[in-house]
Amino acid sequence: MNRRTFLGAGAALLAACGKPARIRLALNWKPDPQFGGFYAAPYRKHGLDVEILPGGAGTPTVQMIGAGSAEFGIVSADELVVARSRGNDVVALFAVFQNCPQGIMAHASRHLASIADVLKEGTLAIQRGLPYARILERKYGFDHVQVVPSPGGDISAFLRDEKFAQQCFVMSEPLQARHAGVDVKVFPVADIGYNPYTTVLATGGAQLRSNPVRSAAMVAAVREGWSGYLKDPVPTNAKMHDLNPSMDAASFAEVAEAQKPYIETGELGAMTDDRWMTLIGQLAELGDIPQVMPAQDCFRNI
Amino acid sequence: MITVSKTTASEAGRGVALRLERVRRVFENSLVVIEGMDLRIDAGEFLAILGPSGCGKSTLLRMIARLSAPDAGSIVAEPEQFQTAFVFQDAHLLPWRTTLDNTALPLELMGLDREARYSKARATLAQVGLSEAEARYPAQLSGGMRMRVSLARALVTEPRLLLMDEPFAALDEITRFNLEVQLRDLWQRRGMTVIFVTHSISEAAFLANRAVVMTRRGGKIRLDRRIDLPAGRTNDLRSDPHLGNEMKLLMAAMEEE
Amino acid sequence: MKRILPPLVPFIVITLALEWMVRGGFVPGYLVPAPSAIFRALYDSRDELAAAMAKTSAAAVIGFALSALTGIAIAVLLSSSRAIQKAFYPYAVFFQTVPIIAIAPLLVIWFGYGMKTVIASAFIVSIFPVIANTLTGLLSTDPALRDLFRLYGASARVTLVKLRFPAALPQILTGLRVASGLAVIGAIVGEFIGGQGLGSVVDIARTQQRVDKVFAAVLLASVLGLALFGLINLISALTLRRWHASEQGA
Repeated sequence: MNRRTFLGAGAALLAACGKPARIRLALNWKPDPQFGGFYAAPYRKHGLDVEILPGGAGTPTVQMIGAGSAEFGIVSADELVVARSRGNDVVALFAVFQNCPQGIMAHASRHLASIADVLKEGTLAIQRGLPYARILERKYGFDHVQVVPSPGGDISAFLRDEKFAQQCFVMSEPLQARHAGVDVKVFPVADIGYNPYTTVLATGGAQLRSNPVRSAAMVAAVREGWSGYLKDPVPTNAKMHDLNPSMDAASFAEVAEAQKPYIETGELGAMTDDRWMTLIGQLAELGDIPQVMPAQDCFRNI
Repeated sequence: MITVSKTTASEAGRGVALRLERVRRVFENSLVVIEGMDLRIDAGEFLAILGPSGCGKSTLLRMIARLSAPDAGSIVAEPEQFQTAFVFQDAHLLPWRTTLDNTALPLELMGLDREARYSKARATLAQVGLSEAEARYPAQLSGGMRMRVSLARALVTEPRLLLMDEPFAALDEITRFNLEVQLRDLWQRRGMTVIFVTHSISEAAFLANRAVVMTRRGGKIRLDRRIDLPAGRTNDLRSDPHLGNEMKLLMAAMEEE
Repeated sequence: MKRILPPLVPFIVITLALEWMVRGGFVPGYLVPAPSAIFRALYDSRDELAAAMAKTSAAAVIGFALSALTGIAIAVLLSSSRAIQKAFYPYAVFFQTVPIIAIAPLLVIWFGYGMKTVIASAFIVSIFPVIANTLTGLLSTDPALRDLFRLYGASARVTLVKLRFPAALPQILTGLRVASGLAVIGAIVGEFIGGQGLGSVVDIARTQQRVDKVFAAVLLASVLGLALFGLINLISALTLRRWHASEQGA
């Protein structure tokens, strides 16, 4: 019997035992299609009582896991690696986006050919602390572009100024811009070779070791949730729209569809050593972490 | 711009004559403070106004000072233009100014240049005996000294009408006695009209040559009497039975009601 | 020495306690940095922090100076007539209640990214205490003294300059004390949005999970606030020294 079947049986046993474990799942943004599978997941069936805590700009999910204010959280792979280097033992369990959906969007009317062109003039709104921002700076330099803080999902500055480019989630802000009548060109960050897993379910290492059954149950529920959401996002979208009315129902449907290619590349949520090793190497070179760490410490495929 | 000229002794000795006719004052809550007062005051008179708290004496004084207007009736003065000075119960000095600057304030407000107003201020400070305190700040003066500065400030413009609203009430008795003597002396030398509001019978009898007792309510005059005491008054007078007599009469009028 | 020692003692005790708690593993260093880590971050990033502090200081000082002058002027205007006061004071209260985080993005629209937005933010956050305290001071003038000035025919302008304003000085300085700290806060918030100075350092360091650097920048911001506060206290001591109870017995 392989490990997964064993833990799956354990989870079923847990469910059968009656009282579900009370768990908090902290999101790192407002409820939107990137979390669809989490809202669709049948937690109770797997013996879990999960409270989903919506987030917003700057929600410190890695720290929340470390401090114990949430048992599970959604993080990005690069911030998990950095957290580990600081002594915060967090472990990744399930990666929703197999390919990083971050990118830079610019007005299509500028007819830019590559990311390098974006940095030749105008303004770029980006979170300078992010690793890919610094990779861009190292590679191309920010001497000719005015770098300003990212407006966090708000595209009003982008719409007003043709020479304004900003970081985005490939299936989010660009769609908003098109709805507002502005045609955009998106440059995925993966194009410069930086491709961390994104929207990753993580938990504390200690918790994982002391209660592996709970984590197994969580992953099983989440996997089922994503499977269901990808087939039919409509009911879950309605639920999320109630929680986050700032995005309309049509956009929910559009984004849910547009994000599929980033998620459905193979086995849902699974992660590889190679991808983690590449990421660790990139972060070490950037100086974000003092030294390379073993990839297997960072994740677990349950 | 007013220039205060050097006055001769006889010119400085002039006061103001006032005639109040059917003066009436009503407050916003329709409380009739002063019903309809008739009062004549001669030039150079030292008039004490006595009465219990709330009888309207301060209100009357403020109307005479033209700080508020009567709702009916008239207050006519002879001469029509004259300088008024007011001394309050607290010295009310400007705490950020020295004694000299406080004393000179009225002249400064009237537009006098620095040399002129400082020389007048110094002269007046000498008269109240505070020359050596001219550079001090109010926080560094005693209560009695602050009141003397207030007095000097009032006298610096050589006013023809000096209005005083219970000025010595907050001071200790010895200081009070001495200031009363000093005030009487200054009045005798300058000859302005003084209207002195108080609720102290002994003070009224000692200081004034005429006393008016007001009723408790409605602002009417119950008693109007010439004080029968010698012109020159010193602290010796305090143990004089004649003073006691005057006080008895005033007290009887105050107690009626 | 007598003045510095009392506040210094708790500071040293807390610093040592915190250091011990982090080193001993009672508090995770990635949540709360050990004081030694903060000092190391101060040293390692000293050039960056110094430049950032210079920018934040400039914005806070300019914003504060503007709010001091404008606030006093507005209060003088409001104090001149009951009608004006009733009509416009509620709008002054608006400056107190508006959440700066919410309107900071609007500031960027009007002033662009950079120093002007930061100054505007510092100004908006710090102006209300100046208006409120100055107004209270101007309206609390001793009525007997106002009568005195009227008696000698002083105009409204003369009464304002020679009586009401000097009398209001202790209250004005109180308002400036409060405003000085708020100006620093306003500058930092403006910098989160406008992108420069210590606020920017905090924002970027936070993204990089560099809590030590975050705390180092916050420490410097506090120092800035203290410096401004100290400046107002100095002015207060010099101007009120001889006549106001608050500066006597010192």
